[in-house]
Amino acid sequence: MSVEQLGDMRTEYSKSLLALGEEDPNIVVLGADTTDSLKTASFGKKFPERFFNVGIAEANLVSVAAGLAYSGKTAFASTYAIFLPGRCLDQIRNSIAYPSPGDKKGLNVKLVVAHGGLTAGADGGSHQQNEDIAVMRAIPNMKVLVPSDSVAVSKLTWIIAQKYGPFYMRMARPKTTIIHSESQEFQIGKAITLRDGSDSTITACGITVKMALDAADLLQQDGISCRVIDCFSVKPIDKELLEKAARETGSIVTCEEHNVMGGFGSAVLEVISESCPVPIRRIGVQDKFGESARDNEIPQLLEKHGITSINIANAVKVLRRKQ
Amino acid sequence: MGLNHYQIKRKILKARKLVIQATAAAGSGHPGGSFSMAEIMGCLFYKYLRYDPKNPSWEDRDKLILSKGHAAPGLFSNLAVAGYFDISEMQTLRQFGSKLQGHPDLKCPGVEFCGGSLGIGLSYSVGNALAARLDGKDQRIYTIIGDGESDEGQIWEAAMTAAKYKIDNMTVFLDRNFIQQDSYTEEIMPLDEKLLGDDLSEMWKDASRWKTGDKWRSFGWNVIEIDGHRIEQILDAIRRANQTKGLPSIIIARTIKGKGVEHMEDNPLWHGKAPNPEIVPIIEDELESQFMIAPSIIAGDMLNLEKEVKRCVDGRADYIHLDVMDGQFVPNKTFDHTKIKELRPLTLIPFDAHLMIDEPIKHVRNYIDAGSDIITVHAEVCDESSFGEICDILHSNQVGIGLAINPDTELPLWCYKFVELLDQIIIMSVVPGKSGQKFIESTHEKIQRIAKDLKEHKFEGYIEADGGVNLENIGACFEDGARAFVGGSAIIGQNDVRMIIKEFRNQALESRRRLLIKKAHDLGGTELVNKWIDLHIVGEKKDRLVQIAKELGSQ
Repeated sequence: MSVEQLGDMRTEYSKSLLALGEEDPNIVVLGADTTDSLKTASFGKKFPERFFNVGIAEANLVSVAAGLAYSGKTAFASTYAIFLPGRCLDQIRNSIAYPSPGDKKGLNVKLVVAHGGLTAGADGGSHQQNEDIAVMRAIPNMKVLVPSDSVAVSKLTWIIAQKYGPFYMRMARPKTTIIHSESQEFQIGKAITLRDGSDSTITACGITVKMALDAADLLQQDGISCRVIDCFSVKPIDKELLEKAARETGSIVTCEEHNVMGGFGSAVLEVISESCPVPIRRIGVQDKFGESARDNEIPQLLEKHGITSINIANAVKVLRRKQ
Repeated sequence: MGLNHYQIKRKILKARKLVIQATAAAGSGHPGGSFSMAEIMGCLFYKYLRYDPKNPSWEDRDKLILSKGHAAPGLFSNLAVAGYFDISEMQTLRQFGSKLQGHPDLKCPGVEFCGGSLGIGLSYSVGNALAARLDGKDQRIYTIIGDGESDEGQIWEAAMTAAKYKIDNMTVFLDRNFIQQDSYTEEIMPLDEKLLGDDLSEMWKDASRWKTGDKWRSFGWNVIEIDGHRIEQILDAIRRANQTKGLPSIIIARTIKGKGVEHMEDNPLWHGKAPNPEIVPIIEDELESQFMIAPSIIAGDMLNLEKEVKRCVDGRADYIHLDVMDGQFVPNKTFDHTKIKELRPLTLIPFDAHLMIDEPIKHVRNYIDAGSDIITVHAEVCDESSFGEICDILHSNQVGIGLAINPDTELPLWCYKFVELLDQIIIMSVVPGKSGQKFIESTHEKIQRIAKDLKEHKFEGYIEADGGVNLENIGACFEDGARAFVGGSAIIGQNDVRMIIKEFRNQALESRRRLLIKKAHDLGGTELVNKWIDLHIVGEKKDRLVQIAKELGSQ
């Protein structure tokens, strides 16, 4: 087993924005007093006239971005996850997703957030956004991406810059294990099969993709062959690939760093229960709030909420017994 | 588009009528806030806003962003009048499948913002303004926010952002109509100091309590405060805002919710309620019978006309009537264009220049240059050709066109060729030449006859009664069909010009009330009269209407 490499999602986001800014003069970046943390400040240094820091005013951030987008700009608006869907659902719905000029759907705004989920950590439960996937998913025209590593962030930043429409992309705060190779191709609406297997499927998004891989390793030791799917595109979701996995492996475990109610697991349930019902277990926050945890304690916090590779592996075993 | 003052007013009237018809057809909607901003909309659509109804997405167009989106009918009606879609489509307001949604929506051509959730539009405007700046476009963003809407914190977030980025390619209007959904703004969430909204006229008196402007000034904005129903003030404010560089500008327009329809005015009930279809024809008549008072300053101190103009300003005259006499067409001599030019800087109130002079075609350009807003020439000294030429000159200079006739003159036949261009017809009720004469009684019959005749010829301007009009006969002149009233010694000759103008207005208003009660009676007898009267719940209007109905035997 090779040594794990870590990557920083925000750094990759920032690098991609800089390169995009060079290439496309229509790209503008907006922040809300968190531009150092989001690392978007570097874009502002290079392209000061295309960078707008509107202060601690997230509703304003979203709607100013909407105005720029309506006038033809590709607007990236970034701050912490807790402040965007959490604070500005109305502005996101009514000023970004709803307005549809001509044949287009929604305005061309990219909401890219950091500190999604429990791993926001030390800031505490008030700052751990575990409901954003559910909320963003429910808005028509909004697409929702939860990349699993910094490679995915970098590639997806390029893709959403070039693809018209509103996107919500969620990054995690800590450095995360690099999962994808630089040559990995990404497509909106297409999940990536990281490991093939025939006994069960584990599908995950964000930081839990790494746990899914670890769980598959554990299960392999018990002779269970698990398919692992990185479903970074939560909406649109890769219905085809998930159905195929359900048919071929007979059960699915979903993992997310998010409330199981309405989140990624729910999205999978919606698809599978309608077209190819198989037993499903959802690993994720069980409708609870988080609490502070220092960096070295993050695994404990995740464990308290049941988000571990062992729990994933156990869920697979439970499902297999039912099959 | 450059229209003159009167043409703008006519467009506003058309738009107001469409709002009434559309909301009545829909059975819901927001007429109150549509009417408080009606003049603002008119000045934008027909003077300042650059757009192409045939190409709504023209890249260099100005953008009008209605942040107070519930006033959608007030926006749609102007889009219809401006030619974005057929006027008949207004009937589909709020209907399933219509592009005229309950709140402004990009589905409708000309709409730039999906409004309705309040507080968003100003931020969105800032975004659009920043984009225009980045693209180096000579493009302006016009935004209308509400006073109830100003409860939203996001308005103030956007206010700070606009100041930070020195957004000067955006002109914002605050439609300060004092009413939000639940009640008066000062009761729900005060913007000003202790303004209790039962009597709007009281609020107007005490400008010292107006604090809204201070809020915006402290946020780093250029603040222009105006009467939001006066076209000349709105136009001037836009001009000043658009010239201001280096900081954002807001025009705080003091307005009346439901303006133009007495029972809706200053009445929180009409924030979001549609009129009953059976009263629509009465409301239409009410809207069509707006009237104006124009004091004639030659009735005052001829040696100090500056003072007389100032008295008209204090008295809140609608227009200032300027009698130009040359000593030839009439025996007397008053002043000429040079005097008008001197008076012009004293006020924004429109100048209604009545040229009692020979060969007006020779002089009309001077009166345009002097700053007249409407110029009226006498039929006795024009013929078809010279009047046609005068029309062309006035029209191309966006100056109103008037034609006057003396007591012993009838409208010349050639004037019907210009009837669609005419903004005003003055029917002299004294022999012109000097102030202080008695109203010639036979003029009543003459006004009635001409009003009827002109209506048949689709004349949309004002008939102005001029000469000997006073408190005793203004009501009768109104009933005759006159809608503009020149007051000479009866106004300017009085000590308290403001009070007398108010009384002039009251008399005309009473006359209009009679007219509308008669209309209600014609349409639906006593039952409809009572329904109509019962709508008037604010102030003492209802008592007066009951009285009038009794006098007319309609109750």
